[in-house]
Amino acid sequence: MHRTLIVDDSPTMRRMVMASLRDVCAGGFVEAASGLEAIEQLALGPAALMVLDLNMPDMHGLEVLRFVRSHDAYRDLPVMILTTRGDDQSRAAALAAGASMYLTKPFTPHTLAAQVRTLLERPRQGQGTR
Amino acid sequence: MTGDTSFFAGFMDDYFAECDEHLGAIRRHLLAIESAGEGGVDRAMLDDLFRSFHSIKGISGMVELRDAELLAHHLESFLRRLRDGEAQLTADGLDALIEGVDLLERTIAARREHVPSPPAGDVIDRLTGAALETPPAESATIGPADQPAPSWRITFAPSPQLVARGINVDTVRARLRAAGTILDATPRMLPDGIAFEFAFAGELDPETVEAWRSEGLTVERVDAPVVASTERSITADAGARAVQPSHVVRVDLTRLDDLMRIIGDLVIARARLEDSLRRIVKHVPAVEWRAVQENSLTIERQLRDLREGIMRVRLVPVSEIFRRMPFVVRDLTREQGKKVRLQLDGQHTEIDKFLIERMLDPVLHLVRNAVSHGFELPEERVQAGKPAEGTLRLTAAGVGESVVLEIIDDGRGIDAGQVAARARAAGLPVPAGPLDEATLLDLICTPGFSTRDVTDRASGRGVGMSVVKNTVQELNGTLRLETARGEGTRFVIELPLTLSIADALIATVGDRTFALPQPSVREVVEIDPAALRRVEHQEIAPFRGGVLPIVRLARVFGIPAAPRPRLHVFVIGAGQDAVGLAVDRIVGQREIVVRTMADPLVRVGGIVGATDLGDGRVVLILDPPALARRARAAEQQPAGAS
Repeated sequence: MHRTLIVDDSPTMRRMVMASLRDVCAGGFVEAASGLEAIEQLALGPAALMVLDLNMPDMHGLEVLRFVRSHDAYRDLPVMILTTRGDDQSRAAALAAGASMYLTKPFTPHTLAAQVRTLLERPRQGQGTR
Repeated sequence: MTGDTSFFAGFMDDYFAECDEHLGAIRRHLLAIESAGEGGVDRAMLDDLFRSFHSIKGISGMVELRDAELLAHHLESFLRRLRDGEAQLTADGLDALIEGVDLLERTIAARREHVPSPPAGDVIDRLTGAALETPPAESATIGPADQPAPSWRITFAPSPQLVARGINVDTVRARLRAAGTILDATPRMLPDGIAFEFAFAGELDPETVEAWRSEGLTVERVDAPVVASTERSITADAGARAVQPSHVVRVDLTRLDDLMRIIGDLVIARARLEDSLRRIVKHVPAVEWRAVQENSLTIERQLRDLREGIMRVRLVPVSEIFRRMPFVVRDLTREQGKKVRLQLDGQHTEIDKFLIERMLDPVLHLVRNAVSHGFELPEERVQAGKPAEGTLRLTAAGVGESVVLEIIDDGRGIDAGQVAARARAAGLPVPAGPLDEATLLDLICTPGFSTRDVTDRASGRGVGMSVVKNTVQELNGTLRLETARGEGTRFVIELPLTLSIADALIATVGDRTFALPQPSVREVVEIDPAALRRVEHQEIAPFRGGVLPIVRLARVFGIPAAPRPRLHVFVIGAGQDAVGLAVDRIVGQREIVVRTMADPLVRVGGIVGATDLGDGRVVLILDPPALARRARAAEQQPAGAS
């Protein structure tokens, strides 16, 4: 199983996400603190899943998502948007841009793990053809 | 749910550390806004503030600190409205913002001390109220600065090989930022994979272009924008750099010193005028008084502008120091068989010429130390799972009225045990128990201390860590150390932008008056003397759920002072290092002309210099870091303290 890419500008949040997903993501984790770093990590190696924050310094999470979805190599990468609550407009925008799932912070480790598990078990379109 | 709560309870240390970081950045921005006035707010600053509040809100929610989450939410909304131009930052708004930040800090501190959150009062109402003020029609104050036209297109394709050499999107970005302005950064999908394209404006010399190309970057010049008039683009094509007339005048620094001294005299003369005016105020009709007062204030403002103008003339880029380092590092690494890559960030940061000259040797020493002692040999690094080539970063950044220089290596870190052993062998007092970084720094900066028995060429010069520390202190700066075993060491030097004139808080003790440099004062509080407790030789006061060592200036300087019903206390330093300086009365805030005490015979611990407030009396300027150190030393060695 490939690595899980955790994208969030808060190191504390990244650690909390990784701790929550320790038992779900067998391929280990790789962290990115900004949108550009996230895309760099995609260039450096394949990922099984991306957990993506929206509000980040250099590049908004939605832009990262749009980049991911507009290129064949990453079109099927499951992307879980994990963003701070109270920004419900972004939910529609994220789903329209191709988010596989949308969850708000604060989250409980149990919910996050359960949602990610569902996401990973969901059959992926086009998987296996590459 | 309870299971989840305890799950994230394990992250409280991370939470507090990250909050501290954000709050520190927020405070710095607020100080900058406060000192620059309403015009000093730019978009980038608002973005930074917004993001800090956003992050605190997010992680506060995770650790279920609802009060902090809510407050951070309101602060964030307030910032969003400012940023989006829906509201303007008024004096009231700034007050509400500062109060909100203060409350946020206390709320988080309360959680750390396991005490209930402080009452929110009307801060939230004021934040929402202040944000409702709509801007005037022509609100052009906040907006992106004029952007230069891109002159280069720089493409970077990340690869595992480059990452192993320490070249990634972040280091590339930092390098571009240091050399000019990044107008845009866009990820692109190229046939061979992902690449980042930077639109960049700045001057690049052929060596830099060559160096970047050798590191895998594609560097292309972009032609001048077509919109420019034909005439202009022709001159631009014809190598405009060579024919452009020079607008630069070289000035002897002593002439600028003379000018600065004259301005200093003017500041004092104006303070005297103000003093005389205050004495005649009752004898002058109100209408005429107002005119006099207005003129006086105008002169004050103009003086400030003049002073800032001269100060700017004295500023030179930090690159004057930095550009010497590549040679030093290259020679030393070759000599010692090490592999070190030098990365310079923020070279364009400007700092007073005098400070730069004084800082050259200390920075050289820290760089030499890092290469000689900090970095491991390549094979050791590989064994430790690190890239064979170490990275030495020198960074400079302007933060409000000060400049922060950092010397960061990713070497072995400082071995506290070894330092302690060495210090004991040298007969220096070493506190029992694990050494914190401040103590570690004090030890390695003690004259006569050296971690190596054999002085090698690198550290065998006349400059040691003690000189580094003394120089920084003489320049009214601070030196800080962060180190982690196996991960590296970071020295942080914070210097005032310029010496000679500064904002200060004026306080009295007995019949004496003192000035305290304002940047070192974190806050001013009143403490009931009955709340003081005595631990060994140190008085401590309960503060924010913790304790604050109190230094009574009357005792430090042997001034007879009558007991007071309330102690006025300046809090200096943060967190564990906070110390309170107790005075009788706080008189106010003034611009002071700093005359440093160069003569070692009249130099006294805890005093950096003297000033004249305009009434002819000489007022001593306190050295808060030195006083704080004294308090901490007293705390740690109650028995043997001198």
